[in-house]
Amino acid sequence: MPIVNQRLEDEMAHISRPEELTHIRSLFDSGDELMQNIAYALISGNDRDVDELTKQALDQHYEPNIVLDDGLIAGMAVIGIKFRDNIIFVPEVLISARAMKAGMAHLEPILSESGVEPIGTVVMGTVKGDLHDIGKNLCIMMLRGTGFVVHDLGVDTKPDEFIDAVTEHGAGVLGMSALLTTTMPNMGRTIQAFEEAGMREFVSIMVGGAPVTQEFAEDMGADGYGQDAIACVDLAKTLSRIASHAPTNESDAQN
Amino acid sequence: MALIETMTPRQRVLAALSGEAVDRTPVSNPTSVATVELMDLVGSPFPDANRDPEMNARLAATGYTELGFDSIMPYFSIIQESSALGCEMQWEQKDNWPTVRMGNPIWKNHTDVQIPPGFLEHQDSIAITRSIGILKQEFGREVAVIGKTMGPWTLAYHVFGVEPFLLMTIDDPGLTMKTLHKLKEISVLFGQAQIDAGADALTFPDHATGDLVSGEYYNRFLLEIHQEMVDRLDVPLILHICGKTTDRMHYIAQNKMSMFHFDSQNDPQESVDIVDGRIGLVGNINNPVTLYSKDPRAVREEVYRALDAGVNMIAPECAIPLATKLENLIEIPRAVKDWHSDQIDNNGTAK
Repeated sequence: MPIVNQRLEDEMAHISRPEELTHIRSLFDSGDELMQNIAYALISGNDRDVDELTKQALDQHYEPNIVLDDGLIAGMAVIGIKFRDNIIFVPEVLISARAMKAGMAHLEPILSESGVEPIGTVVMGTVKGDLHDIGKNLCIMMLRGTGFVVHDLGVDTKPDEFIDAVTEHGAGVLGMSALLTTTMPNMGRTIQAFEEAGMREFVSIMVGGAPVTQEFAEDMGADGYGQDAIACVDLAKTLSRIASHAPTNESDAQN
Repeated sequence: MALIETMTPRQRVLAALSGEAVDRTPVSNPTSVATVELMDLVGSPFPDANRDPEMNARLAATGYTELGFDSIMPYFSIIQESSALGCEMQWEQKDNWPTVRMGNPIWKNHTDVQIPPGFLEHQDSIAITRSIGILKQEFGREVAVIGKTMGPWTLAYHVFGVEPFLLMTIDDPGLTMKTLHKLKEISVLFGQAQIDAGADALTFPDHATGDLVSGEYYNRFLLEIHQEMVDRLDVPLILHICGKTTDRMHYIAQNKMSMFHFDSQNDPQESVDIVDGRIGLVGNINNPVTLYSKDPRAVREEVYRALDAGVNMIAPECAIPLATKLENLIEIPRAVKDWHSDQIDNNGTAK
């Protein structure tokens, strides 16, 4: 349905790329006014409204994945574009993330019981020596919301901890974050450790963080660079498709 | 024609910080240029070099003795005050930076903000103030010794945690201001202690970066506090903010500080144009790609680009990765001298 929540409609003015505007509007096509209200409450960072509206939707027997897709994720998609285009910054993203958590608190228990097949498995962590995790946490929230299983290793993650986690969980994608120029080289060291362990070809590695660039990612030997949480999700989807076509055992690897 | 230097490094740095004429553009380090190689050279490894005054001074001096920079910076990290305040620390080893465990913050709101008794006598405060004394005694007539005191915004990240503090700025801007005003007293206390110990200037990191907050945030929360710092700390101040900052440079240019230490994510010419002489600029040689990963030729190109733009003092953009190659760091002062020699050849006079 078209956007009927006027304040949500006003948010469309922030989306300058025509193809993105079409895409964002399409996210609201299948939802109704209640879903639009949830999306707007999330965009404005109103966790109390998201909490109440999500409860209301479930009470009215909306499917939890509908509330997730047409309400929360559609709202976060707008937030992602506003963040990328410097219309909003991290504090504004954080209050929207807090609002999303308020909604997810109702949805997650139901979704996890439903046994939906995940898109893929991702291991995420901030590299050794770096204790910053806001960007990583936003990425994880978006990845989980999109349908990935994410294993969060937290901050200050050593190369062997990344290797152990990828092995243990059979993850096809590894995401590394760094906020400091002083710790960014640890991304390269981790990739090197995967090579030395003979595991590099079995995992796709994506990197991100404020000072990280495409050039640096390539220099370090990463498979992809995500500028923000939305790019991280898109990249994880692409890398997961590659991973799902990769050889999965030794005999496949030799073919 | 070779450049003839007529100033000592200290004179050069202090003149540039005052906006006066210099014989050549100074090469400075408002943040750390410590590397593992330098630690090995003088037997002064991390983490001890952050905590012991003599070891700290030995490592800091290498910025001048080995690299040929015009200043010495003994405060390598950004955690000394936070450790003295009681934050949970991760001291790490030689190859990693000490950090504050911001996931376990010590304070929840502004009423918790208290400067503990003995703050200036804490090991991690003394490490810097005594080191400045040692360096002043050994190099003080020749080289500028630059101290560093964290601004209230950076301290807030450490004592409250980044995420809780940023949420506070939206949930209660008034409380945020109150909090910053209380925290700024820590900046003044530690800054003054370093001035008393002999610091010629202070770097003032306050990480209201474009990677986290808007340019308006700088105007709303920090501009007046930074102006107040200039009035209260009677040495040249160098504001340091990492990341993208062109959207706030117009405000930064009004803070009355001597210079702004800026990041390579900002184009030097655009930055020079924005500040328009209202504040000096120091920077902005890229760390992770150029200094860490590339070679002296790439470093030289970047130095020339900054000098061509009119950057007032050349420096790495931020604390350098600890495994940075010395040849790349040594290339910075070499390139600056060669650029000035080229200017003489081209114009007959130094630029």
